[in-house]
Amino acid sequence: MSEIRSYRKPVATIMAMLLAIATLFSATAQAGMVGTAEMLQQQQTELDRQQLLEMLDQQAVQDKLADLGVSQAQVAERIQNLTPQELADFQQQLAEAPAGQDVVGIIVLFLLVFIVTDMLCATDLFSFVHCLR
Amino acid sequence: MPQTLLRAGRRLALLGVLLLAGCATAPPWPDRPASAPSGRVLLDQVPFYPQERYQCGPASLAMMLNSQGLRTDPDRLKALVYLPGRQGSLQVEMVAAARAHDMVVYPLAARFDAILAELDAGHPVLVLQNLMFDWWPQWHFAVVVGYDAAQETVILNTDTREHYAMPYPAFLATWGRAERWAVVVLPPGQLPATARPLDYLRAAHDLESTGHPQAARRAYQGAAERWPERPEPGLALANLAFAQAQWRDAARQLIDLARRFPDYASGWNNLGFTLERLGCRTAASAALACAARLDPERFGSARLEGGSPATPTLPCPTVPACPATSP
Repeated sequence: MSEIRSYRKPVATIMAMLLAIATLFSATAQAGMVGTAEMLQQQQTELDRQQLLEMLDQQAVQDKLADLGVSQAQVAERIQNLTPQELADFQQQLAEAPAGQDVVGIIVLFLLVFIVTDMLCATDLFSFVHCLR
Repeated sequence: MPQTLLRAGRRLALLGVLLLAGCATAPPWPDRPASAPSGRVLLDQVPFYPQERYQCGPASLAMMLNSQGLRTDPDRLKALVYLPGRQGSLQVEMVAAARAHDMVVYPLAARFDAILAELDAGHPVLVLQNLMFDWWPQWHFAVVVGYDAAQETVILNTDTREHYAMPYPAFLATWGRAERWAVVVLPPGQLPATARPLDYLRAAHDLESTGHPQAARRAYQGAAERWPERPEPGLALANLAFAQAQWRDAARQLIDLARRFPDYASGWNNLGFTLERLGCRTAASAALACAARLDPERFGSARLEGGSPATPTLPCPTVPACPATSP
């Protein structure tokens, strides 16, 4: 085990150099162009965000959020600041939910876990989120 | 580190609730209009290979490829997808092998009615099942070749059984334990019934990035025909021409794109860099300026690289008028 650890530094250095070289080459190959992969990723993020915001419009979701004492505007603002990864996570959770299950529950759960906890300052992950206190 | 922990904790909490919710009973057969009056669909043109032990991967893939008119068989595919050490095949290898045959591999949405819709369109569906338990999995590939809505069965070409009618709850359980993995394998340009624009373009782009530009082009063209109201297929086609150093072709496509979608900033941006390659610096600057006006945050700092030929080799094309005015 310690033997493996002793290799860690040189391996990390080599990997870092490889990454730098790879980045350099791909940058010169298509500098400035919006690549197809980049375009698709960006469109997907927009789509995910849009879908989440549309779900927020459901009355049942709003009722539950009101129960929790959070306004729709606050949540909408937070959704605008979600990263592509967080949005993708949500889509995945939604896709994996068994068919016919209460979708409102999943939405509210996601909003609660990823968003409302930040607003209540239960976590300190997102420095730009304003605390409710 | 605590951030990672917190994040992991959130995931776990979410997962826990979902797992509990997952214990609910199987949902009923989807309520959808039947394509056939009998409510039964069977794609009997799909060939059948009884698999040898552990070789459901090569056998299933051969059925999928044969059904699209490709001549191959499990023995030939075995070299591509069978891992003797694991006594099986991995999903990524199945997908890679299909791509090596110039096919678009389109992952279906994780919904049972997506499978039914593809079958209605005559497309067999490759699925992964877990025949045992989550904690002791036995993975298995099978080809869905039909269904019977009245009997509520899913018709599979699986292991040594051709047209085996599996009861719906059993299928849903085994498929659900494999994360509802289902794909259709189709020639580029022939679109899945349930295709969504971004997902299909991603599948097409996977062909491009694995060294099948011609197949990718046909797939992009198919997408452009299916969704004429969207600019993304056009950008993908132009980018492909650009990647192959066909600057004039790329410029022609991007000009056409700018005419049809004048507000599409990414298209203007790429048009600028393409015109630069043609040596058309004035036109290139105008296109970049338009991208910057349409989306200042993203393209406001885009500049030409200065790597263009000094004089244009051919007459420069006329750039359409920019819809956005100077700020």
